[in-house]
Amino acid sequence: MDSEGVKKAIVQATLQETNTANARALIEGITGSCFEKCVPKPGTSLSSSEKTCMSYCVEKYIASWNEVNGTYIRRLRQGAEGNH
Amino acid sequence: MSSSLALDQADIEKLNDKDKAELRQFFANEEQKSKIQSQSHALTSLCWKKCMASSSTFKSGALDGTEKACLANCVERFMDVNMATVRQLAGMGGRH
Repeated sequence: MDSEGVKKAIVQATLQETNTANARALIEGITGSCFEKCVPKPGTSLSSSEKTCMSYCVEKYIASWNEVNGTYIRRLRQGAEGNH
Repeated sequence: MSSSLALDQADIEKLNDKDKAELRQFFANEEQKSKIQSQSHALTSLCWKKCMASSSTFKSGALDGTEKACLANCVERFMDVNMATVRQLAGMGGRH
């Protein structure tokens, strides 16, 4: 492997690690928030309405993450401009 | 976690200065990206509790206008509070 190959391997492995960490944190947030929301009183199995709620909740949580991330980045940029 | 990276010291030594510099830049960017993503996770969890409290069950997977505005305000006001706290603590510095 030459220099370019080593560099590419490191970049690839790093991206894989950070993507996995990000996905894991998202799943943790979704599971916590949506379980709280959709399964207030756990029964002997998940009911169909709980399952429907969970499926909407997952979509909504991801949309919320995107909204929050976008607002946060916009605000960070404004702050950075203000400091210059 | 199992990593797919199988490099040894000999491979690392093959890196030329240009690629080393590029990697340093790449790591700096990735670190910044990770910090922002991790803060976004914390903020989403916090703001979700404030913005999704009213509706009892979800009828759709999309955000409505009110929820969207609430989330954006939540992030903005969190940042205001964050900056105000830093400013207040900085002002206290000389008095302790």
